[in-house]
Order: sequence, then C-alpha cells, then structure tokens
Amino acid sequence: MGLFKKLATALGLSKYEARIVVVGLDNSGKTTLINNIKPKKASTFEVTPTVGFQVESFAKDNLNFTIFDMSGQSRYRELWGHYYREVQAIIFVLDCTERVRMCVAKEELDELLTHPDVSNSCTPILIFANKMDLPGALSAVDCMEQLDLQRISNKPWQIEASNALTGEGIDRGLEWLAEKLRGRK
Amino acid sequence: MLSDAGGGLSQGGGQGLGDAPLTIGGVLKEIQGLKDKFKSEDGEDEASPYHALEKATVLQECRAFNDSNVVTNNPKRCCQLITKLLHLLTQGETFTSSEVTDVFFGVTKLFQSKDHNLRRMMYLFIKEVAEATNPNDVIIVTSSLTKDMNSSEDLYRANSIRVLARIIDSAMLGAIERYVKQAINDKNAIVASSALVSGISLFNTSPDVVKRWNNEVQEALSSPNEMVQFHALALLYQAKQQDLLAVTKLVTQLTKGNTRSPLADLNAANARAAYQFLESSLRHKNEIVVYEAARAICHLPGVEMNDLSPAITVLQLFLSSPKPTLRFGAMRTLSDVAGTHPMAIVKCNEEMETLISDANRSIATLAITTLLKTGTEGSVDRLMKQISTFMNEIADEFKIIVVHAIRQLCLRYPQKHRVLVGFLATFLREEGGFDFKKAITDCIVELMSAIPDTKETSLFHLCDFIEDCEYTALSTQILHLVGALGPSTSAPARYIRFIYNRVILENAAVRAAAVSSLAKFAAKVPSLRPSITVLLKRSLADEDDEVRDRATVAIKLLASMPAAGDGEADAGGDENHQSEPVEEDALDGDAETSEAAHLMLDGLPMSFASLERAVGLYALSMQSGTAQAQPLLFSTLPVVEEHVPAPLTKGTSAASKPLAGAGGGFGGGDSRVAPTAASAPATADPTAELYKIPELAALGRVFRSTAPVPLTESETEYVVRCVKHIFDAHVVLDFSVHNTIADQMLTEASSEPELYSVVGSIPLPTLKYDQTGHCYVVLSRATEVAIEPVTFTCELHFKVVDCDPQSGEADEDAEGFPEEYPLEEVELSTSDFMAKVNVGDFRRSWEQMGPEGEVLEKFALQFRRLDEAVAGVLDFLGMQPCDGTAAIKPTGTSAGLPPPHTLHLSGVFVGSKPVLVRAQLAITQSNDTIGCVLKIAVRSDDPDVSRMVADCIR
Repeated sequence: MGLFKKLATALGLSKYEARIVVVGLDNSGKTTLINNIKPKKASTFEVTPTVGFQVESFAKDNLNFTIFDMSGQSRYRELWGHYYREVQAIIFVLDCTERVRMCVAKEELDELLTHPDVSNSCTPILIFANKMDLPGALSAVDCMEQLDLQRISNKPWQIEASNALTGEGIDRGLEWLAEKLRGRK
Repeated sequence: MLSDAGGGLSQGGGQGLGDAPLTIGGVLKEIQGLKDKFKSEDGEDEASPYHALEKATVLQECRAFNDSNVVTNNPKRCCQLITKLLHLLTQGETFTSSEVTDVFFGVTKLFQSKDHNLRRMMYLFIKEVAEATNPNDVIIVTSSLTKDMNSSEDLYRANSIRVLARIIDSAMLGAIERYVKQAINDKNAIVASSALVSGISLFNTSPDVVKRWNNEVQEALSSPNEMVQFHALALLYQAKQQDLLAVTKLVTQLTKGNTRSPLADLNAANARAAYQFLESSLRHKNEIVVYEAARAICHLPGVEMNDLSPAITVLQLFLSSPKPTLRFGAMRTLSDVAGTHPMAIVKCNEEMETLISDANRSIATLAITTLLKTGTEGSVDRLMKQISTFMNEIADEFKIIVVHAIRQLCLRYPQKHRVLVGFLATFLREEGGFDFKKAITDCIVELMSAIPDTKETSLFHLCDFIEDCEYTALSTQILHLVGALGPSTSAPARYIRFIYNRVILENAAVRAAAVSSLAKFAAKVPSLRPSITVLLKRSLADEDDEVRDRATVAIKLLASMPAAGDGEADAGGDENHQSEPVEEDALDGDAETSEAAHLMLDGLPMSFASLERAVGLYALSMQSGTAQAQPLLFSTLPVVEEHVPAPLTKGTSAASKPLAGAGGGFGGGDSRVAPTAASAPATADPTAELYKIPELAALGRVFRSTAPVPLTESETEYVVRCVKHIFDAHVVLDFSVHNTIADQMLTEASSEPELYSVVGSIPLPTLKYDQTGHCYVVLSRATEVAIEPVTFTCELHFKVVDCDPQSGEADEDAEGFPEEYPLEEVELSTSDFMAKVNVGDFRRSWEQMGPEGEVLEKFALQFRRLDEAVAGVLDFLGMQPCDGTAAIKPTGTSAGLPPPHTLHLSGVFVGSKPVLVRAQLAITQSNDTIGCVLKIAVRSDDPDVSRMVADCIR
C-alpha cells in the first residue's frame, strides 16, 4: 500500500483538496523537493530559482494536491504571508549545510509563526532538514535546537532529514502530515 | 497603441479557433453575455447586476479566492467576481494600495484553477492592475507565468506571454527571452501573434533584446496566417525604423515574397525604392491594399508626374466606388495631390463633379475644394452655382476650406473676380460663426490688395456686411479698412452713410472706430469735410469716453485744416488727393497742424515696439547728459530698425550652432564651456552699454548699431564679435570678447585695427574665464568726404595671466605675457551707415522727394534667380523693403523668363537723411548665360548720398 493511498484513506475522502504552501530560504531545495513529490511525467527537469511563486497542481492517487512553491529569495519572502490563509499545511525547507544562515531561517520561521493566519490556527508545520546527504550537514536534532522548535506548543510540528534529489525522508514527512490532517478532521 | 490594435486583430482571428486570447473586447462581450443572462433570470429587476456594487462587499467576496474548493469547483463564481472587480476599476473606483495588494494576491491563487475562462479573466485582471500594484508584488507571478508559457495549452501560452510582456522588467527579460523567441515561430497563430505583439510593447523598454529576435520575426513574416504576418511586419518595422536602408531592403524583400496581408504595406512609403512595389500593389485584388499603395505613391516625397498617373487612375476608379470610405479616402488623397500637382488630377474632374452631390458632406466638400484647385476658367461659373446650393448644409470648418479654395482660384484667374467676390459676399451675409466670417473678410481684403480691380466692389460688400455684423473685431477691422481705402475711391461720399450708421447703432468700440474712419474721410476729401464735421459733432455727446475723445480730436484737427487745404478744396479733384500737402516736413513752421493731421491719417510712422525702443534710447542719450538737449520729435528720435524675421540663412546657422557647440563640449572636455552659451542669449542692447561710458557718450547719439559680426570661429579660445556703432562723425567698433579658457585671465585686452584715423580706444582691464567684455575703438570720420567701403585688419592684444581655475583669481606672482590674437577683418561698408526704416507710403514719399537728388544706375549682376537677386540687393543696400516688394509674386508660368520685379526700399542714411530706392530686377538670357539686370533709382535730398547708395551695389 503506497503512501498516498494511505493518506487518502486516512482522510476518508476520495478527492480531497490538499492546499500546501512550501516556504524556506533561497537555494534550500523547495522546487526540487516538489518535483520529487510530483508524478514523474509532470516534473520539470531543470530547476531555476523561482521568481515569485509557482503553483503545482497534480493528482496523485485519490488526492488533489495544490502546492504553492514560494520563492525563497529575500525580496520575495515578505510575500509569503499572503499565501498562509486557508492552507492545510505548511512545509518549511531548511538547507542544513548552511550553518551561518540558520539564524536567518530562524527569523523567517518566527515571522511565519507570528503571522496572524498561522499563529491562531493549528496548521501543521512540517520542517525538512534538506541536503542531509552533503558532508557537514547538521543533523535534524541540531537543526531543531538551532531553530528552537521546542517552543512551538499550539500546533503540531515535525522535523525530518531529507534528500530532495533522491526523495529520501520525504515520504516519512508526508506520512506524518497525513496523520495530522486526519487528526484535524 | 499597436498592441491594442493587435489585440483587436488577434481577437478577430482567434474567434474561429474557439479560445480567443484575452482582450477588453472579449471581456466586454462576456459581461454583456452575463448581463443578458441575468436579465432573463430575474425579469423584474432590470438593473445591471453590476449596478451599485459596493467595493467593500466585492472585496469581501473576493476572499473566496483563498478557498481552494471554490476555486476548483466553482470557477463561474470566480469569473464573476473578477468581472465585478474590473467593473469597479473601470468605473473609476479607487482601491487603496493595501486593497489592491490583497485582491492581487487573491487572484494569484487562481493559478491553481484549470478552468479556461477563469484563467483568461485572471490574466486580464493581472494585466489591468499591473500598473496599480506595487512592482515588487507583481513580479511574484513571473515564475507562474513562465511556467504557463511552457504549458501545453495554447491559451495559457498566448496570454501568459502578453501578461509577462506587460509586467516584466529588463533585468528579468533575459530569463524569458528564449521562450518568447520560440513562441514567435509557434505553430499556433495566436501564440505567435501574442509573442510578436509582446515584442512590440517590449521594444519600448528594451529594444536591444527585441532586435536580437530578428531572424525569428523574419521567419514569422512568411507565416501563412495574415495576422502573424502583420504583427511580424509591424515589429520589424519598429525595429528598423531608424535605418532607412533596412526598411528599403525589407520592402524589396516583400515585393519578391508577395505578402498576403492587406495591411503589410503600411510603412512602405519611406523609400523611393518602394515605388516598384507600390505600383505592383496597385494591381492587387484587395482594394485597401490598392488604396494604401496609391496613397503612399501620392505622398512619396518628390514624386514625379509620370509616377503619379497610375495611382491617380486607381483613385479615379475609387471615386465611383459604392463604398463611402473608399470614396472619401480617394477624394482626400486627390485633394492633397491637387495642392502640388493640380494638372495630374484634371482627368478626374468629371468624377469629382458628380461627387459634389454626394450624400456624404465631407466627400462633397473635398470634391469641391479639389475642383476649385484644378478647375479651368470656364468651369468656374458652373462650380460656383453648385457650391452655393450646398454651402448651407456644411459645417463652418468646411466652409472655411471652401473660402480658401475660392481665394486661390481668384488669384489664379483674376478676370473671374467679379463672380468670386460676389460669391464670397453672399456667404458673408449668410449665417456663420466668427471664424468663417473672419476667413471671408481676410480673403476679400487679401484679394483687394492683390487685384486692385476688386477694391470698390469689395469695399461695398464689406460695408454691406458690417450693416449687421455681430462681431466687434470684424466691424472695427472693416471700418479701419474703409477709412484707409474709401477716400481714394471714385465716390467716397457713398461710404459715409455706412460708417455713420455704425456710429448710431453699434457698441462703443465700433463707434470709436467709425469716428476715426469718418475723420479720415474728412481729412482726405475736402469736399466732404463740412458735412462730416457736423456728423462728428453729434458724437461729442457720446456716452463713451473714447468715442468722445476721438470725435473731439478729429473736429479740432479738421477745424485747423481748411487753412492748409483751402487751395485744394476748390480743385477738390479726387485724383488730386494723393498729392495733398498734409505731409510736410515735421519741423516746418506749421508743423503742429500737419504733423497732427498726418498722425490722424497714417497712424504712427513706426510700430509701437520700435517707438518704445526709440524713446528708450532717446532717454538714455539724454541721461548721459552730454548730448545736447533736443525736442522729442519723431524726426529726432534715434533710428530704430524694424525687426525683420530672421532670414533663412540666419535660421539655419542658428540651428547649426547648438550642434557645433555640443560637439565641442564632448570633444574638448569639460574645461571649456560651449561658446553657444555666449552667443545664445539675446545680446543686451549694446547701445545702452555704450551710453554708460562717458568718453563714448560724448560723441553724441548713436545713429545706428549693426548686428554683431563674428570675427573668430565660434569655438576658439577667445570668441570675438564686433558691433559697429555709427555716430554722426565717428564710428565706434565695439569688440566683445568672450574668454573660454578656464585657467587664464586676460588683462589689458585691446583690439587694434590698423586704420588711419583712430581717435582713441578703450581697452578691457581684465577678462576672467567665461566672461564677456567689451573693448572699443573710436574712429573719426570726415563727414564731408564720401563714405567708401573699407576693411580693417584687426588684432587682439592682451596679456595672458595664469590663474586658479577654481577661484578664478590670478596667481600672485604671475606677470603674464603679452599675446596677440589675429582676428578676421572688419568691414565697414556703406550699408552700415544705412538704417532700415520703413516709410508709411512709399509712393507718396517718392513723389515728395522729387527727382532733384536722384541717381540712376544700371548694373549687371551675377544672380541666376530673381529671389536670390532680391536678397542680394537688400543685402548690398541694407535698406528696408516697402510695400511687400521683397516677396516675389509667384508666376503662373514656370517656362520662360520671369517678368521683371520692382523693389521699393527705404532707409535713413547717417545724418538722418532719408533715402528711397526703386529698383527693377530682370533676369536676362544671352548666349546661354543667365544674368540679372538691375536698374536702380536712388532718391534723397542730397545727390552725394544718392550716389553713395547707388555705389553700394557691387
């Protein structure tokens, strides 16, 4: 039984609309990650820095995914806020090889958490500690400490180490997400 | 503009394919459709569904965009919402920036929808609000659009390219350039067109990028789809607009390729090489192509008669076309051509005459005016009849055009003046606005001066007209004219009634004009004087000051007149009036009376502007205190030259100067200031400067100052110009020196002409960078010796002192070294001693001067054309042309030698000696050499002066 099948059954809907917004610093691997989730034929092979955002809609098994792939470049980060409303989940992608920019990531995460559309809802937040395959990458636990994730108390969150190129770790994260969504139902 | 047109076109082309790209027109249609639907649904509520929309409500509803269920399952509703938003926007509702941002981001979420209509609305919305939204926000859709550009849906691709072109900045263009380039050659016509139109709009911001698409666009040119062809050509044309050669090439290529787009030849008119192509286009199936081609041919610069004829033939056919547009187009083109090549159109006359009765008034007017231009003398009467029938039906602007056409016709066929002027007069009595009436009046007046025969009849027509003229300005103008011309007609008494009627019936301004007019009659026609005086006395009780004043002055003057005019009163002959001795020398015994009468008759002998300047100069010379006090009289006023509009040569040199200056600025670096700055500002009256220097002011009053003559190139280190001030017995050379070198200072600059009678000179103490100073050289002139043209060689002597370029202060220990700077020669010609002064009535002054001091000469000049000769003679003599004789009357026949031209000139020679010149210029031909014979008669009180003036001719 595949993951998405599980997810679909978990939600008890044959055609459930899952609207997810993906954020994270630039060059953390958001678009690549989404390419990996997408069915292979819909994926684009060449990934360039996203300008603004891209919408990916695809059906996988019995699920209609609508993923807002936001640009991570600093000049577009303030625009994320416009897309938090009425999303079922937020995915935050971290580049765990970039130790120096962890603090920037933390700032952005704080911003996200204090956003009115997010702070009062219990939208689940999934954090991918991406690029775990590269040497010198921080572990998921290190990341958690760096970002001070423990303080998040009013909503479910999870951190997963992942490799967006191979898809390693992504399934585990989505499995958790499916569970949470079912819980909210 | 183009892109809009493209939008419209693409819509037309796209309808067949079912997914038209987004255009306002399409949306309007959609709105209309929705409206109709609503109407049918709830019949009792007739109001538009978009009537009285609340902005707040709509914005609230727009939150639905955030709900993915609504977006995916209910696209209709979203469409409607966007329509509402757009409706609000177009109704002029303003959104605050936060509202726009909010809605904009809401709309961006619609990218998830797959509904075609909704997507189209979304593209449209983004395009519409793109300007209103923060550019940083708009850029957020770039990636999404780029993705759409690569999608498999043609609709998405076409529209996203259009939207992208609208929002993208040049920095981002590089990233998408590749896709647009691909799209240009897309199989789908709409996509290709969209890409091309985007190219056109992008061309404004980043032409370089678009120019790189050349190959693709060329390929698109051969597309089977007309719309794509058109857009491709439009883009190509835009890209190559600057390059005439490229356009020519393009056109030649098109000729071979035989494009099918009817609009493709819109820009072909640029090059002569296009002619072949255009001619072949004349045989095209599509009549619009044919028309465009014919029009382009007709508008080709320097087109020849032979080349025109095929185009004219085609237009002739169009004239009888059932389509009014074609008829109008053809007619308009023909009427344009008629202005330059009337003969070419003659063959269309028959068709045009039928068009006069065309239902479309514009066509009819054009036909009439064209006919008037081309018509032969015989057809004039018939035409006039036709015009009068339809004149009542057309608007004033058209009437004015007709009036101008009639004037031209009348000038061409002077014999017909009776018919034509009578015709104009009937118009004058009919209904019409001020402009129309003014056009007719001007026209009649002009004809009066051009064709003397019309004078009396025209005056009567005008008098008739002012009987019930509602326009004060026209009435006063006509009254003045009648006053000036009326007395010299065969029966001046007839006009008195007309004029006096005005005094009784009209408003104050007209009354005043009428009174002055009456006074002129009385002054010029002694037999009428007593009766007019009686009439004028009635105006003494007028309620308006001005009228009363004028009447009083007139009566007073008239009362003093009979003494002077008694002798002639008996003779009273109307032929005699011209030689009446009202204009005596102003300084004579009974100067006061005759001067005043003269004033009343002729007005001021100079324009108000020159009078003002003259009095100003007079005051200056008085202030300097050294000039002996003179009474303020016209004859003692300093001579002020008429400001003639700069002749052509001056204009071009002025135009070329800034260019040269700019070039120098680039070449020479920033240390030099372009010398144009010095020459551009109007030189403050140099004479005024002169009076400030006591030594020079002591020389008396300046008789005349010449225009500055440059003695150096305009871009040298020191720019020197010379103004010659002519005094009664002296000549002052005023050298104005401009220092253009930043780190030098000139001290003790002086200019030394090598001349026999230098009386003194005033050097310039110091001249810093970018300053202009004057140094003067005074020459004495022996008044009893005849003036001969002399040339002086001049040199500028100065000491150069190094100085600090910043502060402009001289270095302390700098001694400076003497330097000489050669200048061009200064020429003092006889014409410098001549002031251009207009006399009011040349003929009378000429008679008055008498033949005593006359000198007659005959010269053969080296001019080949009459206008050159006139300009040359004016230049030699430096005198003022009178009676408009400087302009050569255009002759009807271009073949053969032009008839001789008579030139009347007036001027005042140094020593306040008026000089008059009559010159006859004739072009002669002997043994293939064309020359010009000048017969000149110079009159002045002093034969020596006349001789000197005659000798000016070289």
